Amino acid sequence: MGTREDEYDYLFKVVLIGDSGVGKSSLLSRFTRNEFNLESKSTIGVEFATRSIEVDGKTIKAQIWDTAGQERYRAITSAYYRGAVGALLVYDIAKHLSYENVERWLRELRDHADQNILIMLVGNKSDLRHLRSIPTEEAKAFAERNGLSFIETSALDSTNVEPAFQNILTEIYRIVSQKQMRDPPEGDVIRPDAEPADVRPSGADSVRKQCCQ
Amino acid sequence: MESYQAEYDKNGLAADTFWRTPQRAVPGRPCQRVERGEVMSGSSYQQFQASVNDAWDLGDDDIISGIAETKISKAISQTAALNVINSHRNSTKNVNKNDVKVESEIVKPREEALAVRKNEVRKIGGAPGSSGPLRYPGRPRPVRLSALTSREESSESKLERFQQVLESSVLDLNELKQLSWSGIPTKARAVTWRLLAGYLPANAERRSETLERKRADYKHLVRQYYDAEREEDTYRQIHIDIPRMSPLVALFQQITVQVMFERILYIWAIRHPASGYVQGINDLVTPFFMVFLQEAAPGKELDNFPLDSLTEQQRDIIEADSFWCLSKFLDSIQDNYIFAQLGIQYKVNQLKELIRRIDLPLHEHLQKQGVDYLQFSFRWMNNLLTREIPLPCTIRLWDTYLAESDGFATFQLYVCAAFLLHWRERLILEKDFQGLMILLQNVPTQNWTDSNISVLVAEAYRLKFAFADAPNHLHNAGKSDR
Repeated sequence: MGTREDEYDYLFKVVLIGDSGVGKSSLLSRFTRNEFNLESKSTIGVEFATRSIEVDGKTIKAQIWDTAGQERYRAITSAYYRGAVGALLVYDIAKHLSYENVERWLRELRDHADQNILIMLVGNKSDLRHLRSIPTEEAKAFAERNGLSFIETSALDSTNVEPAFQNILTEIYRIVSQKQMRDPPEGDVIRPDAEPADVRPSGADSVRKQCCQ
Repeated sequence: MESYQAEYDKNGLAADTFWRTPQRAVPGRPCQRVERGEVMSGSSYQQFQASVNDAWDLGDDDIISGIAETKISKAISQTAALNVINSHRNSTKNVNKNDVKVESEIVKPREEALAVRKNEVRKIGGAPGSSGPLRYPGRPRPVRLSALTSREESSESKLERFQQVLESSVLDLNELKQLSWSGIPTKARAVTWRLLAGYLPANAERRSETLERKRADYKHLVRQYYDAEREEDTYRQIHIDIPRMSPLVALFQQITVQVMFERILYIWAIRHPASGYVQGINDLVTPFFMVFLQEAAPGKELDNFPLDSLTEQQRDIIEADSFWCLSKFLDSIQDNYIFAQLGIQYKVNQLKELIRRIDLPLHEHLQKQGVDYLQFSFRWMNNLLTREIPLPCTIRLWDTYLAESDGFATFQLYVCAAFLLHWRERLILEKDFQGLMILLQNVPTQNWTDSNISVLVAEAYRLKFAFADAPNHLHNAGKSDR
């Protein structure tokens, strides 16, 4: 992690969404603790974790909300989309239904999340080569059509987990910092509705402080 | 629960009135209630008679025996009755002593708080059903704790008491609840849970027939729903959740066990369409399953117990009984699992309000850091704390839940409050949102034992008593305290 937990330049709220059992919690524990369990308990409501990374010498703290995949929890979990600047929409490359449901999840985000939220489509369990039911190209094309970034990961063997989070956080950072340069005091590319989502400076950097307040 | 409720409700009012009368005059009793004060403070015999009228019809030896010497009938003249009242008033000390004596014959005399305890037994016994403990906000605080201590000191004698209660031909369910509240000895747990859940009838004669019928019913349900064409979404969700419910415990990795859970949950879900299966309900099967497994394999190490070593009949019993007990258990909290989980949202708001009243600094600390109660207590409520404490502790906690006479739905709120307050010192030290959330979602209970749960429920009980019935009073007290 490299940085002290309580010092950061930016704080970004990111949500993990997608069908039950696609590996959202596993991606989270791989990214934040570098741990993996073949079976991890189902997420009830939402669970929270955090990790900081460095981009351009800046410390970015990611506040990641892992949500329950079951439909019944939607009313509770959608409350957590508010203020999120990024979303990892996860499906299981070996479970076609979880891919079909991506459209529904996109609708969820449109209905409940900020309109400028950055969305990354994540095909997880890429280690299950022999069970794959979604060709990479198909998902990639879908992502392009819908303006999403795309990556395939394996929380089990760690493939691409780090890049997935790095990419989305970096992208958010670029947008925020460009926006800041363009119109310093009141940028709202990433509209911060809730406190955890805003881009808060850790210290004396007043320019950033003004951003998104 | 309705089955036994009815037969006790009939007596409830009478016993209630009956027992209040002498208690009113017990010296040194803390926090006397005034509500019915006029019954004794006024000299009107009519009032008194009206209040105790049906008490004499009870024919309930258990309740009458404590003060047998004052037993009168309706036929006795007014004068005689007044004499009784007067002698009653003057001899309350004696009455109390007698009570203790009667109790001690059953209990075997031991520890400190017998007198207090005795009163508690009577009180609860006198006011069964939903209104039980709530009517007695003055009940002294340390009662539960002392009862709990004694439990750990003398589990043998506790088991004897359980056996006595369980073996009587017509079970005194209230006494069983009273005993169970502070923890049930392992050997008596399975049968006690069946009784407390309302699955097994209080009448001993009807028990074996009921069990036979219910177990056959369950088999029928399996054929009707599980062996038939299944509702796809429900089945898929259950099928995904079962293998990962206790990933590190070998017992739950056995296919036999997983299929048993699957059937229980699937059938429950199909039969409860308003809620259906909600993730987390699977965790609520586990305690029942473990307790009935423990009964089938006494003294065995269960973490990797091979289920196939039991007979098919034994496995069927575990499964059917887990199903029925789960069903009864969930009845009182079904609104937790309906659309939008309104029951939980409501309770989360109650928890917030409660903490604000009990511990304003903690509440403000959480608020200031942007911690929303829903963010941490949702899981506590949805899974009844099964995710927060070790399994043996959950089982101990459920002794109390099942023994709560008004159902545990309300009580669970206070358990959650006590649980939150337990960590308050650590929480206050956490100075930002992340620290608070990480702690609240991963409270360190790995080394918790039964005694931690005993303290937790005792505290919950205290809170419930102090806060449940007196919102306004508390509101003001809270303000003046701070």
